[in-house]
Amino acid sequence: MAAVKRAYLAVYNWAVFFGWAQVLYFAVDALLRSGHEGVYAAVERPLQLAQTAAVLEILHGLVGLVRSPVSATLPQIGSRLFVTWGILWSFPETRTHILVSSLVISWSITEIIRYSFFGTKELFGSAPSSLLWLRYSSFLVMYPTGISSEVGLIYIALQFIKASEKYCIRMPNKWNYSFDYFYASILVLLVYVPGSPHMYTYMLGQRKKALANSKTA
Amino acid sequence: MKVSVVSRSGREVVKGGIELKDSAKVADLQEAIHAKTKKYYPARQRLTLPAQPGKSGKPVVLSQKASLSEYCEKGSGSLTVVFKDLGPQVYYSTLFFWEYVGPLIIYPIFYYLPVYKYFGYEGERVIHPVQTYAMYYFCFHYFKRIMETFFVHRFSHATSPVSNVFRNCAYYWTFGAYIAYYCNHPLYTPVSDLQMKIGFGIGVVCQIANFYCHILLRNLRSPTGSGGYQIPRGFLFNIVTCANYTTEIYQWLGFNIATQTVAGYVFLAVAAAIMTNWALGKHSRLRKLFDGKDGQPKYPRRWVILPPFL
Repeated sequence: MAAVKRAYLAVYNWAVFFGWAQVLYFAVDALLRSGHEGVYAAVERPLQLAQTAAVLEILHGLVGLVRSPVSATLPQIGSRLFVTWGILWSFPETRTHILVSSLVISWSITEIIRYSFFGTKELFGSAPSSLLWLRYSSFLVMYPTGISSEVGLIYIALQFIKASEKYCIRMPNKWNYSFDYFYASILVLLVYVPGSPHMYTYMLGQRKKALANSKTA
Repeated sequence: MKVSVVSRSGREVVKGGIELKDSAKVADLQEAIHAKTKKYYPARQRLTLPAQPGKSGKPVVLSQKASLSEYCEKGSGSLTVVFKDLGPQVYYSTLFFWEYVGPLIIYPIFYYLPVYKYFGYEGERVIHPVQTYAMYYFCFHYFKRIMETFFVHRFSHATSPVSNVFRNCAYYWTFGAYIAYYCNHPLYTPVSDLQMKIGFGIGVVCQIANFYCHILLRNLRSPTGSGGYQIPRGFLFNIVTCANYTTEIYQWLGFNIATQTVAGYVFLAVAAAIMTNWALGKHSRLRKLFDGKDGQPKYPRRWVILPPFL
């Protein structure tokens, strides 16, 4: 049973690794060839696939397949899906912004390191210390650049969200409910205020534990 | 006897320990610690016996009314207690008052005052009868809770950490505003007259039942007793452990049937989840305590909170 679990996780991690490697390749290629306006078009499909596959990781945490607490994975995946589908896919006006490049590059570098780290662990039982170091150090730069890109893109999208009325539910209706995507997006931006330090300090804690363990291992 | 007071890391909290009469009670120890440390009043102190090496499980908490000699090792005239600071405390009655007074004031603000023009809705607002009854119902509910806090409930712990005031008020006040906004909205769509009557009918019956549950729970504890558990009996408690939560949930269901807002149902779901969590804890505590051994009665088979599901 443990072998099946390992095989599944190995396949999962390497498959998603491959997806993100594609994203990084297409992004850099488009950047060099045509400039930042063309990056989104080049990465759209692999980005959506690789990012949405991460929903499985919440499931993995819930059923105990992996140790990561749901409290850490849920906000990260939530914000990624919101930006991928709720901002970039829903509001094409945002796609040519330069922040898309910094976003995609931050995400793909982080994920390439992360998935290859876990994929190597599942396949070989352990990962080389260089990969361990990368996995627990790249976030130091990638979290700030990634989070700033996410927040920046959401902010830029706000004017288009307000004008379009997309995803809005208006009164009157028989369930006496309303939903305003513009205000919901502002709420999401506010959540980043306590959310970002929470995620960053969580990773700092993980880094301390992981790098200390590797010294004694 | 000499009592040494140490922190969980082993550091002495009161240098040199405390000398007390052999007949002293835990409460006397707490007073003495307070006198020596100035800022740690008794409600902030959590005193436990040191964990025995090799023994696992929860540490033994010193009970306020007990004699210190009960916790001493046989023969020795000394005792070591582990001290934990619970942080600044407020009375439970204070906490509950502030949680409940929010919705009591916020809901009528949305009903009486012209707040909707700040949301872009100008002009006169037509108020449907159900909206008026909902306001009286909602406000009565929170008024009832405040009255029960001061006159009915007997708390197992007198205090709660101050941080809970912010957390709990955020929960009640935010949900109060969320529900009040939709229930009093100028574009509110009422349900049929029959559905409204059924909803409020269920709500009123369950609120009365809930009040009776609180009276029964109160009578399980004596006014001077310091908490302690009894098997609840009578009325709905014969079939469900946390009948008070059951009636509270169904009471909100009644309100929602009458008012039909997504906001109200979201609140119902969250509140039910929180109460279910508490109920599972209480039910398992009671079953563990009343295990049928050593003269303890055995806890009867009962639903936890929501027959026929749980």
